[in-house]
Amino acid sequence: MTGRQRTIVLATPGAVALLAALGAGHHYSAEHAHAVAGNDSASLNCLPCHVYTAQDGLLGKVFQERYLSPREIAVARDGRRLYVTAEEDDALLVVQLHARTVLDRIPVGKHPHTVVLSRDGRTAYVSNGWSGSVSQVDLTARRVSREFAVGDGPAGMVLDSEERVLYVANGGTNDISVVDLESGRERHRLAGGQNPHGVALAPDGDRVYVTSRLSNPVPFRTPPVTEVTVVDARTQRVTERRQVYAAHMMEGVDFTPRGDLALVTLVRPKNLLPATQLQGGWMLTFGLGVIEPGERGAVWQVLLDDANAFYADPYDVAVTPDGKRAFISHAGADLLTVIDLDSLRGVLVGTARADTATLANHLGMSRRYVVSRIRTGANPKGLGMSPDGRFVYVAEQLADRVAIVSVDSLRIVGDIDLGGPRRISFVRRGQRLFHRADHTFQEQFSCRSCHPDGHTDGLSYDIESDLLGRNVVNNLTLLELKGLAPYKWTGKNASLYRQCGFRFAKFFTRTEAYAEEDLNALVAYIFSLSYAPNRYRSASGEPTPAQGRGRRIFERSLTNGGREIPPANRCITCHPPPRFTNRMMFDVGTRGPTDTDGLFDTPALVNLYESAPYLHDGRAATLEEIWTRFGNEDRHGVVTDLTKSQLNDLIEFLRALGPPGNGR
Amino acid sequence: MNGGFAKPALSMVLLSAAAALLVSRWSGRPAPSEATGDREVRGGASPAVAEGVPAESARVQPALRVYQDWRTYTKRDGLPSDKAYAVRVDGARVWVGTDAGLAYLEDGRWHTLGVRDGLAHAGVLAIDVNPTTGDVWIGTFGGLNRWSGGRLETFNQLNSGLANDFVYGVSSKGEEVWVATAAGASRLNIRTGEWSIFDDSNVSLHEPWTYGVHVNDGMVYIAAWGGGVLEYHPATGQWRDYRDPDGEMEFDLFPNDGLIHDITTGVSFENGILWVSTYFGLARYDGARWQGYFDHDSGLISNFINSVRARGPVAWVCTDLGLNAFDGTTWVTYQRDTIMGDGRILIGTGKEPTTRLRSATAIAHNYVIGVDFQGDTVWVATAGGVSRGVPRAR
Repeated sequence: MTGRQRTIVLATPGAVALLAALGAGHHYSAEHAHAVAGNDSASLNCLPCHVYTAQDGLLGKVFQERYLSPREIAVARDGRRLYVTAEEDDALLVVQLHARTVLDRIPVGKHPHTVVLSRDGRTAYVSNGWSGSVSQVDLTARRVSREFAVGDGPAGMVLDSEERVLYVANGGTNDISVVDLESGRERHRLAGGQNPHGVALAPDGDRVYVTSRLSNPVPFRTPPVTEVTVVDARTQRVTERRQVYAAHMMEGVDFTPRGDLALVTLVRPKNLLPATQLQGGWMLTFGLGVIEPGERGAVWQVLLDDANAFYADPYDVAVTPDGKRAFISHAGADLLTVIDLDSLRGVLVGTARADTATLANHLGMSRRYVVSRIRTGANPKGLGMSPDGRFVYVAEQLADRVAIVSVDSLRIVGDIDLGGPRRISFVRRGQRLFHRADHTFQEQFSCRSCHPDGHTDGLSYDIESDLLGRNVVNNLTLLELKGLAPYKWTGKNASLYRQCGFRFAKFFTRTEAYAEEDLNALVAYIFSLSYAPNRYRSASGEPTPAQGRGRRIFERSLTNGGREIPPANRCITCHPPPRFTNRMMFDVGTRGPTDTDGLFDTPALVNLYESAPYLHDGRAATLEEIWTRFGNEDRHGVVTDLTKSQLNDLIEFLRALGPPGNGR
Repeated sequence: MNGGFAKPALSMVLLSAAAALLVSRWSGRPAPSEATGDREVRGGASPAVAEGVPAESARVQPALRVYQDWRTYTKRDGLPSDKAYAVRVDGARVWVGTDAGLAYLEDGRWHTLGVRDGLAHAGVLAIDVNPTTGDVWIGTFGGLNRWSGGRLETFNQLNSGLANDFVYGVSSKGEEVWVATAAGASRLNIRTGEWSIFDDSNVSLHEPWTYGVHVNDGMVYIAAWGGGVLEYHPATGQWRDYRDPDGEMEFDLFPNDGLIHDITTGVSFENGILWVSTYFGLARYDGARWQGYFDHDSGLISNFINSVRARGPVAWVCTDLGLNAFDGTTWVTYQRDTIMGDGRILIGTGKEPTTRLRSATAIAHNYVIGVDFQGDTVWVATAGGVSRGVPRAR
C-alpha cells in the first residue's frame, strides 16, 4: 500500500465521521430553527437569532451600525442652518444649508427628540427622551452649556413668546414641565394627557397646545378619547382639555399664522370592530384634527386618506408662513401630503356640527383639500419650514437624510446627507420594514401604527380569527421580546416568525407574506428593541422603602396570617426575574364572557407602568385594579390578606421592575 | 369607640343640619345698645387683622373686619343643592361642594358637575386648589377627584392607592396631595404617582378616621378622630402627635394643658399658629402654649365645631350655631335670625359680647361647615346654601 493509499484509508473514516457530524449538526440546527420559529421553511438559519441581532462584542461591531436617525428639525431664523436631532446617535447635528453639509455634531443626552431655538439663534434646547432632561446648547461654542431635569420621556417643546419659559411634553410621566430658563429649573409640572408629544405656541403667544398620543382612560371597550392640553402661557396653568374622540396618536401640531386653527396629526383606530374591517378596507384611518381655539371652538377631524389608499402614520404638520398650505409627513407611507387650507376651511364651513362624525370618516373628502402627495425617503418625521416659506425640510429618519421640498413646485429639490453609515444592516432593514405600511392591505398601517416606539398603543383589539367579537386582546409591547416565546396572550405563536410571517399575511397583507429575508430582518429588528431606563429605579439601584416592602410581598410564601401560599400562587413563581415571566400559561381567573379560554400567557413585567391598561383584554385601567376589581379571589396571587398599604407597596415594587441593566 | 361617641357619618351630618335648623333660632331681641353700620374692631394685646389685607399690611393696620352684607346662593341660583359641605376660592372662581354635586361660580354664573360628569360621588366634602398648578382636588364620599382644565379624574380605593373612598379632607401644595379618609390619611406624590397611607399601623392613630388635613408652611397637620392631631414634618419625615393630656371625653379637666379633646374635626396652620376644631371646643397652639376656648368661657358660639380655617392671625370657626371669627382676643359671631331672617353680629372678648349689631342680610344658615376667602370677601358654606360676605366701603 502506497503512502497515498494508506492516507486515503486512514482519512476516509474521519471524513465520513465529519460529514456525519456536520449533517447531524445541520439537522439539529434546522430542527431547532424550525421549532423556535414555528416554521419549517428551508431558508431559516442560525444567523438572525445568533448573529444579526448581536448588539455587543465583536459580532455586534461587525453586524451593527450606529445610525443617526434624524427625528426633528429646527430652522435658524436667518435660514442658513438646520439643527437636527439624531435620535440614535445621541447628538444634535448642525447643518449648513447652502453647502448642504453637516458642520458639527454636538453630543447631547440619550435619544434626543426635539430641538427648539432661541430667537437670537445662539441657544438650542434639546429634549433627551431617554435621559429625562433637556440639554441647553450654546450654538456659538457648539457644546452643551447646561442640562436640566424634566419628566420622563421628554418629547416636544416650545419657548414662550418672551423666551423665559420652556414647555416640555413628558411622554413617560404624562405631564408637562414648565421650566424657568433663567434658573434652569422646573417651576412645576402640569397634568397632561396620556403620552404627551407635540407642543406648539399659538401665534398670539397666549396658549400652548400639547398633543397626546394615547387615549385618556375610557370605559372598557369604548372608543379612545385623546386630548390636546391647552396651557395658558400667562398663568402657566391648564385651562382647557380639548377632547378628540375616536382618535389617538396625535403627534404633530402647528397653528395657522392667524391662530384661527390648530392642526394636529391623528390616527382613527377602529379597534372595537372585528379585524374583518381591515379586509374591507377599514381598520385604521389617518387624518388631521382641526381645532378652533376657545372653549366653544369646534374640533373637526378630516381624513388624509383616499378611498382604497391609505397614508399611514401622519407624524408632523407644518403650515406655510402665508397660511395657505400645510405639509404633513406620513412616516409609514414615505410621503408628504400637502393640503390647501382655504379649501379645507371651505369643507369645514360647509359641514354642520352635527355632521362632524361623518366628515371624520369620509374617505372621499380628501381630494377637496389635498393638493399633492410627495414621495420622500424612508420614514419622514419632523418638518421644518424655512423662514421665507419657500422650503420645507423633512427629516427622513430611516434614511439619515434631510429632504428639501420646494413649496412652489411641490417637489423635492435636494437632499442633505447627514453622514450616516452607508451600509444597511440587517436590523436597519427590519426597522424600515417595521415602519413601512407597504406590506399591509392597501397600505393601511405599519407595525408601528399599533406599536409606536415598538411599544403599545394601549388599545384592545378584536383581532382573533375564531369568531367575531370574541377573544378581545390588549395590545402587547414588542420591547425586549427575545427569549420570551411563546407570543400572544394565548401563547399560540411559538415565535415571531409565525406572528410576523404567515399570521401577518393571513390577517394583514391579504396577499403574500414577507419574503424570508425580510421576515428575518423584521424579527431581528424587533428583537433589538429595548426599554428605556425604568424611571422608578434609583441610579444606585437601591430600592425605596416602599419598594423594599413590596419586594418582600412579591417574594413571600406566607400570608399575613402565617398560612402558606401554594408555590403556584406566589408572585415570584410565575414572574421570576430577569424578565419577570416564566413564559407559561396560567388561568388567573380573568376569563371573560367572550373569552374562549381562561389560560393566558404570563406577561413580562418590565417597565409595566408604561403598559396600561392591564390584563389580557385591557379591562384593568390601573395596576391596582388587577387585584381590587379583577383578582380578588386569590387566583392571581394571594392578595386578599393584604392591607391597602401593602398593596401600595407591592405596586411600588412592580413599577420599579426594569430591564436588566436598567437600559443604561 | 371614644367615650361613647359615634363616628359621624353622612347621616349624622344631615341630621345635625336638620336639628340645627330647628334649634338654632335666634330668640333674643335687639339690645338697646345695638346699632347698625360698619365696624372695625381694634384688637387688644394681640394684633387683629384687616380681612383681605395681606399679612404684612395687617400688622400695620390691625383690624378684625365685620361683615354685614351677605348674599346667599342656593339651588334657585344654580347650586346643585342647598346643603353645602365645602367652599374653596380659586382666583375668580368659587367652588362649592354639596350633598348633590359640585359647583363653581364663574363670571356670575354657577356651573355644576355631577357623577355623570365624572365626579366620584355626589357628596362633596372637601375641596382644595393646588396653588402651583391650579388643579382642584375634590374629596367625596366615593373617592378623590382631580379637576384640571375641565377634566375630572377619579382616584378611589379600587383604582389607586387611596386608603378609603370616604374623603373628608384634602390639602394640596407643591407636588403633594394629602387626603383625610375614613381609613387613615393618604398622600399622593403627584410627580411620581406614589401613594402612601398613614394609619394606625404606622403612625399614632387611635382609630383610622381622619377628618381634616392642612398643608402649609412646610408642615402637615391631620385631624384624627380619637387621635387628636398628627403633625408631620416633610423635611425630616418625623411625625408627632398632640393628644388631650387628661384623656377626658366629657370635659376638659385641666384648662390649657394641651389639646382639649382627642376627637378633632379640623385643623388649620397659619402664621405659625395651629388651630384645632373639635366637637367640644376650639384649641389654639402657638408652638409653646395651648389655649382652649369653649362656649361657656369665651365668645365661641358653640362647642360643636365642624371646621376651622385661619387667615393670617384670624381663625374662622364654623359651628352648628353660627360662624365665629377670632383673632386671639376678640370674637365676632355671625348668626342668622331664623325668624326674622336678618343677621345678628356679636362682638366681644369674652362670653358676653360688648357690641351687638343687626344686619339686614345674614349667612344662609347657622349650621356652618366651611369658609374661605376671596380678597376682602368671605365665602361660607352652610346647610342652607352658600353665603358671600363683603365688607362695606368705609
